[in-house]
Amino acid sequence: MISKKDNVGQPILSISDVAKHYPIREGALQRVVGHVRAVDGVSFDIFPGKTVGLVGESGCGKSTLGKVVAGLTDPTSGSVRYNFNTQLVSISSLEKNKFKNFRRNCQMVFQDSFASLNPRHLVFDIVGRPLKVYKEVSGYDLVEKVVSLLNQVGLGREHLYRYPHQFSGGQRQRISIARALALNPEIIILDEPTSALDVSVQAQILNLLNELQKARNLAYLFVTHDLSVVRHMADSLVVMYLGKIAEAGETQAIFAKPYHPYTKALMDAKPSFDEGQNSKAKGLEGVVPDPARPPQGCRFHTRCSLATDKCGWEVDDVVRWLEDTPGMFESLTAVERKSEFSAVLSFSDESSAANLKQEMRSEKLPASMRKALNKVNINEKNVQIEFEPVEEILLREKDGRHAACIIEPKKVNQEA
Amino acid sequence: MMLDTSDQKNFVAKVDDLKVYFNSKRGTVHAVDGISFDVYKGETLGLVGETGCGKSVTGRSFLQLLPIPPGVLAGGSITYNQQTNSSQRIETGSKPGFPNSRNFEFKKVDLLTLTGEEIRKIRGDSIAMIFQDPGKSLNPTLTIGAQLSEVFLQHRTEEILEMAGLGSEAPGAIRRFASQRNRIFDKWLVNLSGNRLTKSRVEKAVADLVAKALSDTQVPNPVKLMDRYPHELSGGMKQRVMIAQALACNPDILIADEPTTALDVTVEARILDLIQDLQQRRQTSVVYISHDLSLVRRICDRVAVMYAGRIVEIGTNNEIFKNPRHPYTIGLMKALPSADTARGELLAIPGNVPELINPPQMCRFSSRCAFATDKCKNQDPQLEKVTNSHSVACFADVAEISGK
Repeated sequence: MISKKDNVGQPILSISDVAKHYPIREGALQRVVGHVRAVDGVSFDIFPGKTVGLVGESGCGKSTLGKVVAGLTDPTSGSVRYNFNTQLVSISSLEKNKFKNFRRNCQMVFQDSFASLNPRHLVFDIVGRPLKVYKEVSGYDLVEKVVSLLNQVGLGREHLYRYPHQFSGGQRQRISIARALALNPEIIILDEPTSALDVSVQAQILNLLNELQKARNLAYLFVTHDLSVVRHMADSLVVMYLGKIAEAGETQAIFAKPYHPYTKALMDAKPSFDEGQNSKAKGLEGVVPDPARPPQGCRFHTRCSLATDKCGWEVDDVVRWLEDTPGMFESLTAVERKSEFSAVLSFSDESSAANLKQEMRSEKLPASMRKALNKVNINEKNVQIEFEPVEEILLREKDGRHAACIIEPKKVNQEA
Repeated sequence: MMLDTSDQKNFVAKVDDLKVYFNSKRGTVHAVDGISFDVYKGETLGLVGETGCGKSVTGRSFLQLLPIPPGVLAGGSITYNQQTNSSQRIETGSKPGFPNSRNFEFKKVDLLTLTGEEIRKIRGDSIAMIFQDPGKSLNPTLTIGAQLSEVFLQHRTEEILEMAGLGSEAPGAIRRFASQRNRIFDKWLVNLSGNRLTKSRVEKAVADLVAKALSDTQVPNPVKLMDRYPHELSGGMKQRVMIAQALACNPDILIADEPTTALDVTVEARILDLIQDLQQRRQTSVVYISHDLSLVRRICDRVAVMYAGRIVEIGTNNEIFKNPRHPYTIGLMKALPSADTARGELLAIPGNVPELINPPQMCRFSSRCAFATDKCKNQDPQLEKVTNSHSVACFADVAEISGK
């Protein structure tokens, strides 16, 4: 989706409308009562020799997406299509030996190098294992091949017969990279490869990754939460929020002028080092909503400072607000929903109901939420509320860029 | 020691030649090897460095939180300039416009030599700490309210009794209940009909204090939060609880050991705002331990850069970041990816941190330093003043380095 027309050649991997839902089971029969929508309809392409950066807060589904792309778990819907001899084929429909072929061409480097290297295996076993499994080399050649891989990542023959615990964090991450490189893959999925490392070591690893990319024309999917790293590494960027793409496009363009308020918020939260002492970081209010019940309309509207009445205000927003208001939530007895946008709230006493009606029209609620409110009727202990129904806000194209926001980009970039 | 302290009353803590070693099978690890710095009143001092450079050990030694053994306090002292007359400290809220009045006397104590009983009085009261991982440092078996009330029960017994309308004539069992020093029959005594009412008044007073501490950290609905367990809260919320706990007793010094490393950037910015806001209101000194240079640059007044158990450079924020003198400080800054570094051209510092087992007499950075000379390999550089507030431990011509 974020492919640009002048991008020569075909994508090596095309992710189209991928969703991954995890069931929530409850009770003795373990019946499915809902789904956690970790990834909910994401599309983008990865081109050979290019890096796609995938950023977002914890819990936004970026690591899950990385796993789906690597074929470690199957998507609930949608498909990951791999370029087999200039033909895009969905990896879930591949035959066994073809899937094996995909696996060797798509490797992964994990965040925690402590956990992803078997503590009982020698470095030689760890890096040599893929070569053995695919029967690439054996015997003395295997040793030589492992040594040459270790040399490529800045380690040497003397490290062959050591255990992972004998290495520092940076060195362990190098071993993980050597393992990923063993079968000469086309794509490497890097899941926060440097977030556990110090800056001086991080710089070493990032340089190494860049060198390898140039030398082997590798494609990277770089999953991270660190914007300064992604700005340095990625050609294109995918910003995720709560399982969906908030914004996608070329890295430099997005950093120059974000089109989505969430991207802007991420950038404001962590001014880069150059911006100096007096730069002010701006955080976001509230927490990421429950992915089992994602908000209507735009998923970011609950925390967005620019939200309008068209952004999808709903009954859940009222309930969330009640939860954070002392005294009111305790007297709430039932919520009877007609739809996401209309419900009857029952209270245990009339004064609370009257209170809610009053507060719904007061300054305590965001102005945009009040504007979206169609109706508040009070009937003894029951309050009927109704919001203007809103369609889900989809990723749309604006001047060759993609953002899931109805606000004008000009307004997003205005200083608050 | 290396900083000019013309006004002796100005500093709240003075670390002098602190040495903390750890005994291991392979030899003695010199985790902190002779560091000295002052913490001034109301400032934020950043302690930056890479993993294993001894910054957390330094922070923890303020409160005797080090594992001893295998740790060994091999020398040095941490002098804490304590405001005595602690009964006055409680009432500061009720006496506006009377801060630091003549009622306050300064008493100097060495935090490293205090007995367990003495340090417990300081810990959480006048020196408090926020830990890195809020998920691990809150007790999962206690509600938030119960954990926070411990701070008040330990340090604010008199205030609690006063709030409960009891004062000095409180029954012994109730007094012990309000200070967590229960004796064997107290559980039964406080529930006697005569005491039950006073007990519930004490509980109410504690709950009020806890709710106030929580509402200071801008959590929505603090009363409801008090009945929750840590696992029910998000990471940012847990860190707010930790901050509420640390700041509950208006500490003089707050030691923040990477308080935002485990949090998302959007949450981090709000937590930092909160710490800064509370610090300014209460004139707390903060020792901020972090490996994140951009963050330290944003919030700290002074910065100490640590490498391999030593401070290699210390100075004001501007001096360190605009005019760095030590090759390591310069290297750290260049290693950060910025908007205009070309891809693949980050200036990494080659090599690794040396092992700290019985380190030889030489500059510890010399093996990774581009400016190392023979002198660096044979002698140990000491911190030397560049300006009144800026000191560097390096033999090389500092002007030449920063020019490059």
